[in-house]
Amino acid sequence: MNFLKKILERSGKLFEEGKLLSWAHPIWEATDTILFSTDKQTSSGPHIRDNMDIKRMMFFVVIALIPCYLFGAYNIGYLNAIATDVSRSMFENFIFGMSYVLPILIITFVSGAICELTFSVIRRHEVNEGFLVTCALIPLTMPPDAPLWQIFIGTAFGIIIGKEIFGGVGTNIFNPALTARAFMYFAFPTKMSGDKIWAVGPDGYTGATALSIPANPVEYDTASNLFSQATQFDFSLWNMCWGLIPGSIGETNKILILFGAIFLVYVGIASWRTMVASVIGLFFTASLFNILADFSTNAMLTIAPLQHLLIGSFLFGTVFMATEPVTSAHTNKGKWIYGFMIGVLTIVIRSVNPAYPEGVMLAILIMNMFAPLIDYYVVKSNINMRLARNA
Amino acid sequence: MFKLKIKNGHNVNIAGNPDKKFLPTRHHSSVSLSPENFRYIKPKLLVKENDFVQLGDPIFFDKLNPEIKWPAIASGKIFKIVYGDRRVIKEIIFEVNDNKEKSLQPISPDGLSSKEGVISYLLEKNMWPFLRQRPFNKVANPSDNPKSIIISLVNTAPLAINHHFTLSDQQEYIVSALKHLKELTDGKLFLIVRPGEFTYLSDLEYIDLVEVEGPHPAGNIGVVLNHIQPINNKDIIWTVEGHHLPILGKIFSNGIFDPSITINIAGPCVKKPSYIKTRLGCPVDIYCQDNLTTDDVRIISGNVLTGREINLDGYTNFYDSSISIIEKSFERPFMGWLHPGGSSKYSIFNAYIGDNKKPYRFTTLRNGSKRAFVPIGAWEKVFPMDIYINELARSIEANDIDEMEQLGIYECDEEDVALCSFVCPSKTNVGAIIRKGLDLIHFDG
Repeated sequence: MNFLKKILERSGKLFEEGKLLSWAHPIWEATDTILFSTDKQTSSGPHIRDNMDIKRMMFFVVIALIPCYLFGAYNIGYLNAIATDVSRSMFENFIFGMSYVLPILIITFVSGAICELTFSVIRRHEVNEGFLVTCALIPLTMPPDAPLWQIFIGTAFGIIIGKEIFGGVGTNIFNPALTARAFMYFAFPTKMSGDKIWAVGPDGYTGATALSIPANPVEYDTASNLFSQATQFDFSLWNMCWGLIPGSIGETNKILILFGAIFLVYVGIASWRTMVASVIGLFFTASLFNILADFSTNAMLTIAPLQHLLIGSFLFGTVFMATEPVTSAHTNKGKWIYGFMIGVLTIVIRSVNPAYPEGVMLAILIMNMFAPLIDYYVVKSNINMRLARNA
Repeated sequence: MFKLKIKNGHNVNIAGNPDKKFLPTRHHSSVSLSPENFRYIKPKLLVKENDFVQLGDPIFFDKLNPEIKWPAIASGKIFKIVYGDRRVIKEIIFEVNDNKEKSLQPISPDGLSSKEGVISYLLEKNMWPFLRQRPFNKVANPSDNPKSIIISLVNTAPLAINHHFTLSDQQEYIVSALKHLKELTDGKLFLIVRPGEFTYLSDLEYIDLVEVEGPHPAGNIGVVLNHIQPINNKDIIWTVEGHHLPILGKIFSNGIFDPSITINIAGPCVKKPSYIKTRLGCPVDIYCQDNLTTDDVRIISGNVLTGREINLDGYTNFYDSSISIIEKSFERPFMGWLHPGGSSKYSIFNAYIGDNKKPYRFTTLRNGSKRAFVPIGAWEKVFPMDIYINELARSIEANDIDEMEQLGIYECDEEDVALCSFVCPSKTNVGAIIRKGLDLIHFDG
């Protein structure tokens, strides 16, 4: 290790100001500090510091995502085995799934790294570890059979338009991973819109997703009846929770997502307020729609709140995307409003808007846009209190 | 009587807490007074090197407010005046001649029953610099009319002195100091104490006791004021350091300037962390001799959160009540961000396995690279004031004075946000940002 440390320290001189490779200093700094913790000293002010840093923080988010990756890979293999009518062991299913997941993961990281490193060199800012989380999130929102070139372009769009043009991590308005997802959704709708199932099967293999069953019923019935009549996949509450259903790679197993949520809240990175508020918003709106269902022929309105919670990517979005600290509301009061509105908008887009099968992505992006406004009014109330005191 | 329970905050569990014991008193051959300890002043010297001065004689005055003069903190020769760049006076070093120390002349207590009397007495005896003001945390201006005076006898900072222990035999002088300080304001005189400590103060009807419980920064005057009497835009609050009360008490009761104070020397690198009976501006080397576990240390005058680094041949700063010593470390563990935890990592987040119950040997390592700020609510966890600190910091970075005022910059000081910097995963120095904002307003206005 000392040998490596020496190489890094010596090569570091080449990257100093005014030296040959000074333009690449951010890249050297990133490599150096990933391999060996920085020995930078505190200056004035607090002479001692907590051991938590952005690297550790981003690493924790990635840890929280790993179970979703593992299960996602297994699920691809499992569903493929059913579709092609072959029998495979659990491990073989996993390996089969990995052969789809790994290329997506690699291509996302290659694309993300190219964009992040290029920008950090041009804009002379440090390489922020946040891009690793963005790149770890994007594959989980992808269909398993998504074309790699689309993912490459989508990731680049997410990093550049979602983050870098606003000045990089810390100043971005929209969640970069969701920006990438939204771009692909609208740019490559045939593959990405999610009106038909995403699964790796034989040519022409298709089917209805849990959300599209009540959206396009043959004849009107309540959602619960429609789900129980579905034969291709088991859309019972338990199975939607356990996740052996088609969907994007990381979204299907709600139990693992819940574990991720508990982990992130426990280590203090994700806000439980946002998560709880969005679930409250979802239950509130879904219950309201259940009441209104009697006056409508829209079967989507009959989906029970718990079914809404387990269908689609709501939990994945609210745990890993909505809680992204930079783009969510920053104030604690604001987080309640922000989360609640994500829950409300998700159900509204799902149920009332026939064009989009899933609403979480758009709900979070819309609320990303409104988060500064929410914070503005929360802070304004504090300002008004102070102005009143001063008067 | 106010009772306050502060929830947000954190008691940093740092090794080397001082025992309630005293190190043997050591002889000081020199002491020092540094004009740099006093913010926003323009010092003009009244003495030269090799002049002989008596304890309490005027040494320099503030060109911006010439009636405020600083006292000689020892009797003896002015050994050296240290200048910095552009002839800034950095330090005035006195040779101490114990035998020749003479006290001020006793005074008749008649003049001390009015505000004007107390002010002119303190100015005349050159004792004014003991009074500081909020906002800005600078030496008070005698022509101001403070809304109230607040003094903290609870030091919650890591490794800080315990006033209840150090001031236990100073009751007479504390009461005398408080009685006369009360004359300075038409408002209230707040005293911050821990429940059950300084019980004799509750008998004094001119004092409003504030009992605080909770973790650091519960004992900070800024935090307490935010809860009981927030500082409005035009308010001035005066304050005195708790460990300076006996000095003022002696001045008021018998006119003697006695620069003795009790401070502590503590930290993970100190062999015998304990209290020391010493004097204002004392040299640190005599207390470090044979008392350090390693040579490669950072010596801090003040506490580890807000203190200033000084050299081994340096002296404690005027307002500080502790010498904190931590190890300089340049350790670079391989992939430290993967570290599982244990006793070698300390975090207020549950980021490492193991708990923070065992005192931790903090070093000067920053423990991470500087990054753009990611607001995961870390600052708010340790900031118990009704202020949106994140928004305030941003308004300061944008140089927006109106918004700083609206968000309550006058209520904060560096010490109140020190823990925010301590916990910040992006390693932002929040205190420096707050100071930048206060400086901007001070020089702009």
